[in-house]
Amino acid sequence: MDQYQADVVIVGAGGAGLRAAIAVAERDPLARIALVSKVYPMRSHTVAAEGGAAGVVQAHDSLEHHFHDTVAGGDWLCEQDVVDYFVAHCTEELVQLEHWGCPWSRKADGHVNVRAFGGMKIERTWFAADRSGFHILHTLFQTSLKHPSIRRFDEHFCVELLAAEGSTRGVLTIDVASGEFVLIEAPAVVMATGGAGRVFRENTNGGIVTGDGMALAYRCGVPLRDMEFVQYHPTCMPGTGILFTEACRGEGGLLVNRDGYRYLQDYGLGPPSDAPRNKFMELGPRDRLSQAFWHEQRKGRTFEGEHGSVVHLDLRHLGAARLLERLPQIYELAREFLGIDPALTPIPVRPAVHYTMGGILVDGRCAAPLPGLFAAGECSSVGIHGANRLGSNSLSELCVFGRVAGEQALEHARSRPLLAAHAAGTRRQAQQAMERALLPLARQPGRERLSAIRTDMAVSMERGCGIYRLGSEMQTTCDKLATLVERCDRLGVGQRSRLFNTEWLLALELGHQLDVARAMAHSALERRESRGAHQRLDGFEQRDDINYLKHSLATVGADPAGPPRISYGEVRITHSPPGLRAYGAAGEAAAAAAAPSGAVA
Amino acid sequence: MSARNIEMTVLRYRPEQDAEPYPQAFTVPFTDDMSVLQGLQYIKDELDASLAFRWSCRMAICGSCGMMIDGVPKLACKTFLRDCSPAGVRVEALAHFPIERDLVIVVDDFLAKLQSITPYIVPREARSPAAGEYLQTPQQAALFEQFSACINCLLCYAACPQYGLNPRFLGPGAIALLHRYNMDTRDAGQDQRMPLIHAEDGVFNCTAVGYCSKVCPKAVDPANAVNLNKMESAKDYFLRLLPGARSRA
Amino acid sequence: MNGRRPYVRPMAGWWRRNPYFIEYMVHEATALFVGGYALLLVAGLACLAAGEAAWNAWLAWLATPPCLAFSLLSLVALVYHTITWFLIMPRTLPPIQLGGRRLSARAITTTGLAIATASNLLLLLLVGWLSR
Repeated sequence: MDQYQADVVIVGAGGAGLRAAIAVAERDPLARIALVSKVYPMRSHTVAAEGGAAGVVQAHDSLEHHFHDTVAGGDWLCEQDVVDYFVAHCTEELVQLEHWGCPWSRKADGHVNVRAFGGMKIERTWFAADRSGFHILHTLFQTSLKHPSIRRFDEHFCVELLAAEGSTRGVLTIDVASGEFVLIEAPAVVMATGGAGRVFRENTNGGIVTGDGMALAYRCGVPLRDMEFVQYHPTCMPGTGILFTEACRGEGGLLVNRDGYRYLQDYGLGPPSDAPRNKFMELGPRDRLSQAFWHEQRKGRTFEGEHGSVVHLDLRHLGAARLLERLPQIYELAREFLGIDPALTPIPVRPAVHYTMGGILVDGRCAAPLPGLFAAGECSSVGIHGANRLGSNSLSELCVFGRVAGEQALEHARSRPLLAAHAAGTRRQAQQAMERALLPLARQPGRERLSAIRTDMAVSMERGCGIYRLGSEMQTTCDKLATLVERCDRLGVGQRSRLFNTEWLLALELGHQLDVARAMAHSALERRESRGAHQRLDGFEQRDDINYLKHSLATVGADPAGPPRISYGEVRITHSPPGLRAYGAAGEAAAAAAAPSGAVA
Repeated sequence: MSARNIEMTVLRYRPEQDAEPYPQAFTVPFTDDMSVLQGLQYIKDELDASLAFRWSCRMAICGSCGMMIDGVPKLACKTFLRDCSPAGVRVEALAHFPIERDLVIVVDDFLAKLQSITPYIVPREARSPAAGEYLQTPQQAALFEQFSACINCLLCYAACPQYGLNPRFLGPGAIALLHRYNMDTRDAGQDQRMPLIHAEDGVFNCTAVGYCSKVCPKAVDPANAVNLNKMESAKDYFLRLLPGARSRA
Repeated sequence: MNGRRPYVRPMAGWWRRNPYFIEYMVHEATALFVGGYALLLVAGLACLAAGEAAWNAWLAWLATPPCLAFSLLSLVALVYHTITWFLIMPRTLPPIQLGGRRLSARAITTTGLAIATASNLLLLLLVGWLSR
């Protein structure tokens, strides 16, 4: 087993991981940074984000507005002090990205341009055409190459978070190409491994978004917070689930049903207008739009396509020139995958799973309850998204909290370095972890196919934890997941050589996915109310602030192969007491009636 | 949608037991909207779980799934089975790179080249975020934007015979990115990058085959970047000969 | 490398594997005709300097079947050379703005070929007029 020592090890080299690495390198050029990623950094899923990153710039905008949009968007399940910090630091981070070369789209005078986005009262979304995530990721990756102190472990799959005597000791990884194990000892570990959308059947995510870091932290006893809140993005390609960015709607795109009717006005988002209006109609929040689709489908007002029901995203009135300038990637996707010219034909879309609001429990400094463990980005629950994330908040989150996580991790490493006495215990742990990781290779392959377990999981999650949920169906999913865990624990892989063994790694990854799926399903079952992205139709259709204005916490039980234990934690409310979450005309009326300090959306 | 079958012949290579790669045919049922990538996923899920290939985003932005499809470098996720010959489709690892296993190539060489070109903004002077963004008009941004669209998919390297014949050649992708930074008004690092342009394995290895730009899925036009830098190299060389001259402000 | 054994595929016969490369080799080969015809003209120049007898001998040689065949082949090759040269030219130029829009590759190629055709025709007319 190869061994390395580092001060900070970062698992995941997407936006958050790279930002953390750069933050450590800039703070202390002598700090040894190990940046571990199961794929080459430019393949990280940050690359697929399209719409943009939020940061207050306009004179008539304010941090208060961004704060209120975010907290209301999260249906008041946000940690308000953390949201305060977040909105105060977005713009600075986006300017920093610009200094590092990020090609934000500009106004004629050379200043950065901003556009409207769902759930945001005032335009504050910075964008780089419709490839914002791509540009952010490549900017961060290429900037990270400036720092020789960042040692990268590309295509290294992390199999265990090592912790002993109540603090982290490092990670055990597999060098994918050789199949050899690599132990990286470090006093501070930053998880930046992204979300877990692949546990669902239809999703916008890349194949790598499998919740690995969440599972690794969970197995060490760290709670996963608010896992029941899974975002369905309303406008995705039928079949593949590929994303059509919210920016389509920000630029004026319309959603119509089979009658050519802008149906969102029937769901509290109206009245409609010709020009896009912030927080009205198509610029409402994603959970409301996905829920509206679900209802339209039940009413039989959707089109029936080869891959299920769809509605139409109509961009024709934008014209080819504007489409090519502002939404070039959408143009390309529609043309190449669907054979459609969006300037002439509406695009068929349906909701698909997109984002995991929940994740590893961390405080406002990105520190998990396990000393030495930090987390940032989609794998974390730092408290800014609550029950529903607003579009363009997550790209900003990567930078704001990527930096915080990196700096905090460095400080921890300096104040509590590993001692020589720790080494023997760490190596013993690593040895045991290695033996566990090798089990799929040791077992004889039976008739069970990995793809069958994975598909069963994804279908069950779609049924039980969909846009609307029923207790009975969630229970069925919980039970199903338990049997899938058993099947997965018996899985043996056919390929015996460890050299670039994708079968082996997929089996380990499936184990991670099942742990995360169980946390999601059990958390959902226990939350007996409807809030944000978690909506029920079995008697718990209302938001229940008395009993459930709380975060759910899924913690590994006494039997690690058993279901998680669900408990609850307090929500930190500072200057925005829970109010009516309203958009469209209702939202405006409520805002007008509210006190200047703004108790409503 | 009609369901038909297509024969996908994949070049396999198992480093632990094969002396050299060999083709293996699979029969794959497909529908009109299925990509080659989805065909490979079918093979892996249903027929042979050991088949190794890289993929992630499925939407031609992560750059993972570059392969030779019927002898042409393409992204598997946006090459559709309906467009392939009904007689069958041949899938092989990206050309001009060593094969790790099956369709997986060794990309260390490209990453080293990427690192070598100073692929980040070298500012003229220090500037803190408090000073706000650099001003850059849409016209100025247009000078480099096209070259910044590169997804590092390496199709251009698979297309470049000069790279195939001489793997030390810096190559289209790295030079396109180098050019992206040189053309960015915020950058002042041109001098640092010039030695790579001039070098033995620099731009003059290019003989204007132009196939790189033809296969690029993002219209980066790396051939343009490489050939423009031949002129830059010549200009720099002669300007240095002038007494008291500097190659670039 | 601990067990890894990456396989390097040979480059032999690379240009035969792809129609694009075959075409590339063909248009690169036209340069041989450019060179060959240039040598032929240099020979003519030398003969011109050597006197009327040498000049007439050269002219007679030009009219022989092998020379005629070579000339014809060279004509075809040079026309193809010209077309492919202008096809690759846009790749070598910086972006050209015309009326607020960027000049397309097609426009550059077409313009180049048009100018080449026109100059050749003009040259032919001039030679025709001079030798009347």
